[in-house]
Amino acid sequence: MTRLRAFAAKLCGWVAGACVAAMMLLTVVDIVLRALASKPIPGVFEIVELLLACSFFLALPATFLRDEHIVVDMIDGMAPRQVPLLKRISAALGVAVLALMAWQGWIAAKDSLIFGDVTFDLSLSRIIYWIPVLAGMIVAALAALVMAASSDADRRKDDA
Amino acid sequence: MSVAAITILCVAGLLALIFARVPIAIALAGTGLLGYAALDGWAKALKMFGVVPFQLASAYSLSVVPLFILMGAVASRGNMAKELFEASNAVFSGIRGALANATIGSCAMFGAICGSSIATAATFSKVAIPEMRRHGYDSAFAAGAVASAGTLAVLIPPSVLLAIYSIVAEESLPKLYAAAFVPGILLAALHVVAVFVVARVRPDRVPRVAAMKLAARLRAAVGMWKLGILFFFAVFGIYLGWFSPTEAAAAAAFVAIVIAFATGAMGWRELVDALLETAYTTAAIFFIVVGAFIFSRFIVLTQFPNVLAQWVLAAGVRPVSIMLVVIALYFLLGTFLDEVSTILITVPVTLPMVNGIGFDGIWFGIFVTVMCTIGLISPPTGMTVFAIQAQHPEIPVTRIYLGTLPFLAADFVLVGLLIAAPSLVAWLPSLLGM
Repeated sequence: MTRLRAFAAKLCGWVAGACVAAMMLLTVVDIVLRALASKPIPGVFEIVELLLACSFFLALPATFLRDEHIVVDMIDGMAPRQVPLLKRISAALGVAVLALMAWQGWIAAKDSLIFGDVTFDLSLSRIIYWIPVLAGMIVAALAALVMAASSDADRRKDDA
Repeated sequence: MSVAAITILCVAGLLALIFARVPIAIALAGTGLLGYAALDGWAKALKMFGVVPFQLASAYSLSVVPLFILMGAVASRGNMAKELFEASNAVFSGIRGALANATIGSCAMFGAICGSSIATAATFSKVAIPEMRRHGYDSAFAAGAVASAGTLAVLIPPSVLLAIYSIVAEESLPKLYAAAFVPGILLAALHVVAVFVVARVRPDRVPRVAAMKLAARLRAAVGMWKLGILFFFAVFGIYLGWFSPTEAAAAAAFVAIVIAFATGAMGWRELVDALLETAYTTAAIFFIVVGAFIFSRFIVLTQFPNVLAQWVLAAGVRPVSIMLVVIALYFLLGTFLDEVSTILITVPVTLPMVNGIGFDGIWFGIFVTVMCTIGLISPPTGMTVFAIQAQHPEIPVTRIYLGTLPFLAADFVLVGLLIAAPSLVAWLPSLLGM
């Protein structure tokens, strides 16, 4: 289970990292083409925005699986025994927040599809942008669920 | 229930959740949703809850964040810190406190590129602290110097924190970067002055180290070239009109990778690690941005920032008194909140009030960032102090805090200067015609 969790986190990180690399390369190529041939890549902003959505949301499950959220951990020193329970409660709250976001996002995405929303330059369907957002939210909710169900021993194994 | 009661309940709930170790992003999103629903009904609140993450995820202005983080991740793996420390040491060689000043100079330059105070402090604690201790420096002072110098990373451009502020305050990032130059260099200079003061008062803590020969100094100074090139692409490229901030970040990250590969400091494995670190860090920051935007939608709905600003103006409170309260607020928050959360949570409330007493959003961005540098070395949760303690467990954390005191004083001197002379911030942007 621990290994599987670590692999899943890495997989999310690899895909999101590849999107960041693609964003960087695309922007650099656009700069070079614009400077040398006055021919920028058409719709580069829109592709960067898509890659940005992919990099943010596809890495989000890893934040849960790696327990790398930004937290105020002053309580660790005051009540160390309560920390595992608090972590599980936090993960359960994470499930609720992400599930709600995904549900409402799903409704908004359906509206976008019905209205035929497209981007300005490349006329890309907005639903393409919604796919990584929803996929990331759903997988992150599942990741939070796994963390909420993980025993303290499992977490300690992860930390080690 | 009245708007005021809902606002107080939600803010209290937010603080309770944060202290109960709930991730800040989740605490912000949850309380923001509940508050919004209490004021405007569940239908609108849920709709907002589903749409905000999508709007932010595809906001082009946010693309600067992962690209600058990538540049920093590559720079911190590319052996640039040691060369820079040696180069800075060559510059200050021969004067009392040279090694501490070299630490401040190299942290300022490295931190500017790296963007992360914690990464800068962690990197230089391995490079600078052993060197200072070897030459007889007091351990607490050496660690305090690195912890404090690491905080310069969030102020000197290009700064990820300023990029986040520009998004939440809707201010121009190039203008913010231009505005941060003078205060950033001034803060580094004040830290140098702090070293000289300690060297004069307690010379036993800061021994004199033999001067390097001129040829050796020149050879070492050449070691700055890599960060010089990155700085040129990341910052000057924007003001030369070559790049937008996102393009500057992409070009600088690309050049960092090329330099690291060309000098043999990095291979494919390290590049993959840097990309993984970028993805993980970006996701953690972004999730807080989402939570903070949801919470700020609720705060805007309460009209609390405007009411507060109007009340302050109507009450005729002196601007200096207001600024003292704002300083106290940020000092307090800095003792337990990280700098990204501090900015995202507070700016929607404090900016209108500060605008009301005559300070603009650019000035406030620099002011808040300086306050964040103070939070990074303030007990009980000074993050750069912890980063150093993790590398040097033999130095007690209380001694590191004591070592930061001269630099904390320097930080507060800058805060005073910013309030007394706001033109320190406005001078460079107006010179550049921004």
